[in-house]
Amino acid sequence: MNNPLLAMPLAAVGQVEEGFFHERTSETLPCQAHPSHLFCWHWASENINRYGTPTLQQFELVIISVVVGFLIAFAFALLAHRYHLLQWPLLAGTGILFAIPSLAFFLLLLPITGRGRETAIIALSAYTLQIIYRNTVAGLANVPPDSKDAGRGMGMTDRQLLWRVELPLALPEIIAGLRIATVSTVAIASLMVFANVNTLGSPLYQQITFKTNILIAGGLMIVMALVFDSLLLLAQRLLAPWRRTSREVAT
Amino acid sequence: MPAAEASEQSRGGASSVSFQGATKRYGDSSAPAVDHLDLEVEAGEICVLVGPSGCGKTTSMRMVNRMVELSEGDILIGDESVKKRDAAKQRREIGYVIQQVGLFPHRTIAQNIATVPQLLGWDKDRIRARTTELLDLVGLDPELADRYPVQLSGGQQQRVGVARALAVDPPVMLMDEPFGAIDPINRERLQNEFLRLQAEIRKTILFVTHDIDEAIKMGDRIAIMKQHGRVEQYATPAEILMSPANEFVEDFVGADRALKRLSLLRVGDIDLWRAPNARPGQSTAEVREQLAAPDVEVPYALLVDADERPQGWLTQRDLAGDTVPATADAPLGPLLETGDVMRDALADLLQGESMYAAVVDHDGRIVGILSVEIISEFLASSDAKIDERGAVERPLGPDRKSEIAADE
Repeated sequence: MNNPLLAMPLAAVGQVEEGFFHERTSETLPCQAHPSHLFCWHWASENINRYGTPTLQQFELVIISVVVGFLIAFAFALLAHRYHLLQWPLLAGTGILFAIPSLAFFLLLLPITGRGRETAIIALSAYTLQIIYRNTVAGLANVPPDSKDAGRGMGMTDRQLLWRVELPLALPEIIAGLRIATVSTVAIASLMVFANVNTLGSPLYQQITFKTNILIAGGLMIVMALVFDSLLLLAQRLLAPWRRTSREVAT
Repeated sequence: MPAAEASEQSRGGASSVSFQGATKRYGDSSAPAVDHLDLEVEAGEICVLVGPSGCGKTTSMRMVNRMVELSEGDILIGDESVKKRDAAKQRREIGYVIQQVGLFPHRTIAQNIATVPQLLGWDKDRIRARTTELLDLVGLDPELADRYPVQLSGGQQQRVGVARALAVDPPVMLMDEPFGAIDPINRERLQNEFLRLQAEIRKTILFVTHDIDEAIKMGDRIAIMKQHGRVEQYATPAEILMSPANEFVEDFVGADRALKRLSLLRVGDIDLWRAPNARPGQSTAEVREQLAAPDVEVPYALLVDADERPQGWLTQRDLAGDTVPATADAPLGPLLETGDVMRDALADLLQGESMYAAVVDHDGRIVGILSVEIISEFLASSDAKIDERGAVERPLGPDRKSEIAADE
């Protein structure tokens, strides 16, 4: 099965080894005889197990990458908030990382960090920086000036103002950034099969012309993205209850 | 408010505030925002800083809690310079209310009020007790404690702002256009309510406004400022209205300052006229005799009931019989109370298209008659004596109180 789609990135890596996709089986796929079939239930029920490990690994990879990305971006945002002069350099820096296509970035990293999970984490978290940074900075900037003036005027120190007023009020925007970052990381994480991480990308690329496979792997990624998104939305609801309260007329 | 609770409120007392050559210069600009301001605010008084925008009134106020740092000069609270201590710690002892109220949207009403107590590390029970006490003090339902600011009306939010500023019973309060964002009807209520509150708590208050009417109403003393925080006149509202120090003050106070003086006066403050009172069943001859007396002030007889409550005006037809009838032919018209502000009373008279209005005390008993003539005579007299007691000492009539209670 010579697929030009597969050949391209492998050639680009420049170190295509035999066996990079060695798991690719030459078994006869039951539904291949009928390419018009969109989904082969029989095959799916027999092979569903092969998606377990990649799903978990991708799940883990996304969490680690987003957490790392968040910690760095959050620190950047606090720096930019404190020292306004840093705001633009940091925005530009994270912007450049964001603008580099993830695969290209990954390829640039390969000679330095080698192929492995660390490389994947670096590439993925670098990609989240811009989104989280920009949302956090915007969230902090959108805190009502009256609330800040009142807080300071009542005797809050800068740190107290940050943790008790500014960050809680910026929280909805910070979480909104996290949601975008997480969902896009789920998608990009599948590419990390090229870093030898067993994400859902591996079963996907193994049989990239087999529709049933693509639907299962793709479907699992969509479900994963939805799970992350819902969890973060739930977190926002719990952490920012004042956002929910409707403007009912008090009596 | 029971007296015991009121005295509990005032335990923090009040401190004088003294500006001594207080100056604020931004950058190297030659014209300072506030230029050597000297001002003495007595403990327990409301001092209103009023002036056109850009006159430096807000800057002057914000120098007290060092939201704006002094460039030169000093400000003393009591005997202590504001520069002596850490700014954040100092601010916790100064109440602060701003125009947009600035409640924290993410904190409940109770948490908002607890802001400064939390900064000072009070324990939970003490904070809870104090929060309940304060909600009661500003006339808010304790049930609102767990709501978020967005769920409250503008007037309620403003009251929470005042409660929050009073949380640790600060000796000095700074209020920057606190009623500026409230609609006129509610502003009036909140002003009255705040004056009532101040009569209990007696804080030293620096109050910034650009509205001279508000200044006259709220201030024990008013500092009228021109550019660079220069005080053109610092005096009681009555003095400013009667003898403006210069043209600037005169212009600022406005051409209708004679009319504004009426805001300082309550109906009970001036000599009212008397009308012959008549009770049902009384002989009409007696009433007619009183009406014919040469020194009669009001040429109509007022029908009153057994409790001396005015019922209406008696006409010739009413007095044609032998005895005074139980009901009067002419309606009573506007009914005023001694605690009503004279300006409102005049409005009532004009609106009621009535020459005379009966004035009653808190129990509804007749005390006299107010006429448009009395008011115009008062305005015409150059040496009109205006009661110079501070606004907070002037009693509010019971109708005002019920108005406050009916708010929201």
